[in-house]
Amino acid sequence: MENQFNNLYSVILDTYPMEGKQLTKIWKFFEYLKEGRLTTTKCIKCGKVSYPPRILCPECLSEELEWIDLPTKGTVEYFTELKAGVPVGFEKPLIHAYIKLSDSFDILSKIVGIKSIDDIHRGDKVKLKVFDVPPIPAEIGRDKISIDRVYFAFELDN
Amino acid sequence: MKDACVVAGGQSKWGYRDATLIELFQEAGKACFEDNPHIKPADIDGILVASACSERLSRQTHLAPMVAEYLGIKTSSVCARVELLCGSGSSAIILAAGMIKSGLSNTIMVIGGEKLFTPQRWETFYSQLGSVDHDWDGAQGLGLPPSLLSIVFQRHAALYGTTEEQLAAISVKNRRNGLNNPKGQFRKEITLQDAMTAKPVAAPLKLYDCCPITDGAAAVILTSGEAAKDFTDKPLVKIIGTAQATESNSISNRGNWTTWNALKTAASRAYSKAGITADDVDVAQTHDCFTISEVIEYEDLGFCEKGEGGIFAEKGLSDFGGKVAVNTDGGLLSCGHPFGGTGIRQAIEIAKQLKGDANHQVEGAKYGLTHNFSGAIVAHTILIYGRD
Ligand SMILES: [Zn+2]
Repeated sequence: MENQFNNLYSVILDTYPMEGKQLTKIWKFFEYLKEGRLTTTKCIKCGKVSYPPRILCPECLSEELEWIDLPTKGTVEYFTELKAGVPVGFEKPLIHAYIKLSDSFDILSKIVGIKSIDDIHRGDKVKLKVFDVPPIPAEIGRDKISIDRVYFAFELDN
Repeated sequence: MKDACVVAGGQSKWGYRDATLIELFQEAGKACFEDNPHIKPADIDGILVASACSERLSRQTHLAPMVAEYLGIKTSSVCARVELLCGSGSSAIILAAGMIKSGLSNTIMVIGGEKLFTPQRWETFYSQLGSVDHDWDGAQGLGLPPSLLSIVFQRHAALYGTTEEQLAAISVKNRRNGLNNPKGQFRKEITLQDAMTAKPVAAPLKLYDCCPITDGAAAVILTSGEAAKDFTDKPLVKIIGTAQATESNSISNRGNWTTWNALKTAASRAYSKAGITADDVDVAQTHDCFTISEVIEYEDLGFCEKGEGGIFAEKGLSDFGGKVAVNTDGGLLSCGHPFGGTGIRQAIEIAKQLKGDANHQVEGAKYGLTHNFSGAIVAHTILIYGRD
């Protein structure tokens, strides 16, 4: 990441979330992700499942939430490749698929691990893929620490 | 309650510009004052500035007092920036109308625009990762919407049989409408074949299905019905209905992909406030950031039946002489799309149409509508204009 900005005027946007318990209340999402689990929060009071995960139920405003697992395998319904304007930090080909993970949950996600749009088809099975992303050099009080980060996409499940 | 009337409007040249954001605002402000020489900066008591990217791309916040200073405006009623990405300009007009109708302001300049072409072209695309839910959709590389709209089109095609040729008919129409617009980004006619054979951006969407990256700004002046009579002898153009509806923000929660329920909600409320129906609209500037957007907008604004938006375009029913003329100044596809400027550009064209002053006039136009969506097609903003 650093090299991409050498000799350029100073412009940076962090592409990934604030992870780590020093920076976010939903840090468990990222800890579970490191274990290969895709999770979200469910309201203990009213049962509402929210995604992305929350600290407050948007249905009843309760803060009593529990972590639940989402499916990590699904089926490609539609897909496309962004040919123009691929953002810095994203590799080409930048392919997105609308994936049905369960009857009630679908997600528009990046597809990694394929060389060409020709390698993906409607109906293909895909599975969660977790990968490392650049850590955050954080100043917490007087300490300078490095917060490791992960993020996720999907890959073909052959 | 008072009326809120549009009494002046002007814009900078839009496109790839050799000018900074604040310079684009100066050009738009000057063009707006020149449009109505009876109004001077001293007549303005409020300013609302619409801009979505000023921090990211021009390193500037606290924009409203800055634009006021550069245009010689000293405010006493309202001075603030308004942001709703692609709906920023229309949002600012809605808020200005509310200030004027309630009597909190007398005369407001609403000015909006963006400087999107940066020295490093990648910076623009990269910065848009913050325009959707950054942590969940931006991190998937979904900041720019072509991929999202490609999937919208694939689903609309699967459900209703909408074709790429029907989309091409919209790009041909809007490019043709843009030929008359001296301030627009593109003034070149294209053929159906050009549109059909263009390179893919997010297949099946191709180059001419997508609006470009644009630098530019636009401004309008709004005042009350009584004050408007001092500024103009022309028919008064009034804001008679507004609505803004959302159903969610992140892509996973965005609801039906091919029927935009928040658009239907906004349309129903705006028509009801204006006391008209979809059939009464003579001219509309809708959010044609993509051709497929315009198709679904015909449907959910009630110009045609659900699923028939593609046929509506193909039959020329959204062209001059059709049922309702849509994007008469070329729309986003020809004019370009500097986010905060777009709703204001639409207002300028509708005001011209209702006054009978347009470059390409819809004869006898009485009611005009503007529409924007923003984010992951999750917020919809509508204004309805009428005349005396
Ligand atoms: Zn709840």
